[in-house]
Amino acid sequence: MSEPQIAKPLKTWSHLAGKRRKPSEYEIVSTNLHFTTDNPDAPFELDPNFPMAQWFKKNRNASPLKHGDWNAFRDPDEIIYRTYNMLQDGHENYVFGLFDQFSARGHDAMLEDGWARHLARLYTPGRYLMHTLQMGSAYLSQMAPASTISNCATYQAADSLRWLTHTAYRTAELKKTFGDLGFGTGERGIWENDPAWQGFRELVEKGLCAYDWAEGFVALNLVARPAFEEAGLRALGQAGRHNGDTLLGLLTDAQLADAERHRRWTGALVKMALETEGNREALQNWLAKWAPLGDAAIDAFCAHLPDSPGAAQTAREACAALRRGYGL
Amino acid sequence: MALLDRAEWYDIARATNWTPKYVSQAELFPDLMTGAQGVPMEKWEVYDEPYKTSYPEYVRIQREKDAGAYSVKAALERSRIFEDADPGWRSILKSHYGAIALGEYAAMSAEARMVRFGQAPGMRNMATFGMMDENRHAQIQLFFPHEYCPKDRQFDWAHKAYHTNEWAAIAARHAFDDLFMSRSATDIAVMLTFAFETGFTNMQFLGLAADAAETGDFTFASLISSIQTDESRHAQIGGPALQVLIANGRKAEAQRLVDIAIARAWRIFCILTGPSMDYNTPLEHRKQSFKEFMQEWIVGQFERSLIDLGLDLPWYWEKMIAEFDYQHHAYQMGLWFWRPTLWWNPAAGVTPECREWLEEKYPGWNATFGKCWDVITDNLLNGRPELTAPETLPIVCNMSQIPICAVPGDGWNVKDYPLEHEGRLYHFNSEIDRWIFEQDPARYRDHMTLVDRFLAGKISPPNLLGALIYMNLQPGEMGDDAHGYSWVEKFREPAKAAAE
Repeated sequence: MSEPQIAKPLKTWSHLAGKRRKPSEYEIVSTNLHFTTDNPDAPFELDPNFPMAQWFKKNRNASPLKHGDWNAFRDPDEIIYRTYNMLQDGHENYVFGLFDQFSARGHDAMLEDGWARHLARLYTPGRYLMHTLQMGSAYLSQMAPASTISNCATYQAADSLRWLTHTAYRTAELKKTFGDLGFGTGERGIWENDPAWQGFRELVEKGLCAYDWAEGFVALNLVARPAFEEAGLRALGQAGRHNGDTLLGLLTDAQLADAERHRRWTGALVKMALETEGNREALQNWLAKWAPLGDAAIDAFCAHLPDSPGAAQTAREACAALRRGYGL
Repeated sequence: MALLDRAEWYDIARATNWTPKYVSQAELFPDLMTGAQGVPMEKWEVYDEPYKTSYPEYVRIQREKDAGAYSVKAALERSRIFEDADPGWRSILKSHYGAIALGEYAAMSAEARMVRFGQAPGMRNMATFGMMDENRHAQIQLFFPHEYCPKDRQFDWAHKAYHTNEWAAIAARHAFDDLFMSRSATDIAVMLTFAFETGFTNMQFLGLAADAAETGDFTFASLISSIQTDESRHAQIGGPALQVLIANGRKAEAQRLVDIAIARAWRIFCILTGPSMDYNTPLEHRKQSFKEFMQEWIVGQFERSLIDLGLDLPWYWEKMIAEFDYQHHAYQMGLWFWRPTLWWNPAAGVTPECREWLEEKYPGWNATFGKCWDVITDNLLNGRPELTAPETLPIVCNMSQIPICAVPGDGWNVKDYPLEHEGRLYHFNSEIDRWIFEQDPARYRDHMTLVDRFLAGKISPPNLLGALIYMNLQPGEMGDDAHGYSWVEKFREPAKAAAE
């Protein structure tokens, strides 16, 4: 037997050393960080088959979506923690600047009562939905088979809390001007009972229970998120512009910038999955199940949007076009 | 008009519990992932996080913190702190990064479990920041040691350790997987954030930052204190969860989780921090002994937070405190003796002056551990270093995955605590380790220790070389004495004088 070689210092981590270019900070701090994927028979350094181990074996390792090397996934934006905060601190300065300016010019007092009633029904209850998206992305973060996917999901969960925070802020502000419309108190009842929200509620409640990591990704990132973004952000923002609510339109535009970033990595992940045979069928099967729920949610919501003829169709088409753009 | 104060909208942002209609509550919050112990969701809504923050504050403050830590690193990049530091300090850095960076990343998954399956909206929001924090801690503790990769191959282990079967990595995975990776949201709140972070890491990081500053490693000092400020925020997720459990008649269950977590955390700190403080830290930089540190922070401070919450001290509290006197000394002997199996170079830390310090801090050290070090020192003085190298296998504890060991020499108390369960004989380092196993044997039953794997023929060739290959350790990475045995020379003159 020959003598083992003496390991010499490397310029980067050994797992990146074979690459032919200098690693970026993103690669240094984001790649191959999950160790529970190393041994497919035992996710944890514990009994191979106790209930939590079985949860990961079933819902992550045995997912119908397969790839030989999920760790090869890269976020096209190469976001890392440090750049995430730079980016979002800047964006929050913008949004809170808007809040400040619009408040200074007495924006809410100029809104019509009728529009304010729409806001109480179609805007502020959205924090419940945003929170389910926050929860869903956190599930993806803990179940994804590669750290580069988990990181995208982690930042996405934080972005969802960002949206929820804006909504909570505006809810408190609207309550000051429209004290009798149930702002800050009526949202849960509307979320649970109002027909405008039941399509979304069904979609996200079921989507949160899609525990196979990849099916959950399809239900939330390919269906529920785009449906909400097109109807509950974009179409709502446009309805706002038709009702003197410039602030709402600017706010939803700012939130859609996060959504655009989510869509870039979502598309990259779908593209990577499609490299493997059998995955197209798996994704199509899931879409056949989830996309109709997304369309129904859009229809139910947009049916109650004022001054928005054709909004449902536009939103549905945008979602379909997005998925087509992903190659599906 | 101006911006609203956070207090005016904070409660709205954490009023997000709802009753599901299209799926059942049990489907949305499966007990395995939630661990609510039968306390209904609405009872969790009194949960009130003591440390409040919001998204815009979070991204602003964290951006500033990162700017601080990264600029200290950049400013000192061309300094010679790394080259000039005592080799014992470099060993602390290597063992720290290897054992911690990916463990922090695992904690991100655990925080994510609380975001998804926590029963209280305030908990889910705070855990969202906690999840982000752990993402930060993994990334920053990979980026900083990465700089040292071209200088020293052992720094590769900052990323690599958790992906290997190196024995300390197995022990770390076993502990962290048990403490949080494979636990429910409620268990994580109690075990990770309360017991582990409030009890141990928060204080450990304070101590480590002070040591780094003392040693002159300001990059590491600023890094660690910056991390600690995050820890002290998200560690507070656990307290209110414990209050909910206790208020709803689940004190015994909560106590059991706390007791398991403290016991597991103690072993990790005992092997990682104990030898770092009492052996690897150069004598002139030592402020406190490990025992004094544990007495002050764990007994003095953490004991009070347990009692304040309405919990009792763990049943094994006195046994654990008794271990402060010896367990980490035993681990240090093991680490140094099996040094080729480490990704860092352990400092022996037993020069005549060090031994004087050890005897002062731990009366009786010379008559116990000192006697073993006498033999090692004599062998090295007499040119027989091969006698100081490992040849046989230890017996490894089925809980901690660390060799079973205790006091040698005059105070001999080494003992196996065996347990037969479903036809298999398990070995434990103490009554405490065995008790953890008994709380939920299914979690641990079919796990194999490194030695079990050896005996099962999974390691070939079945000798030290085979074990090193199995542990992914090549020459150039495997550990050796941090100071190249130069400390032995300090014994040569007195030995010669005595002989004459």
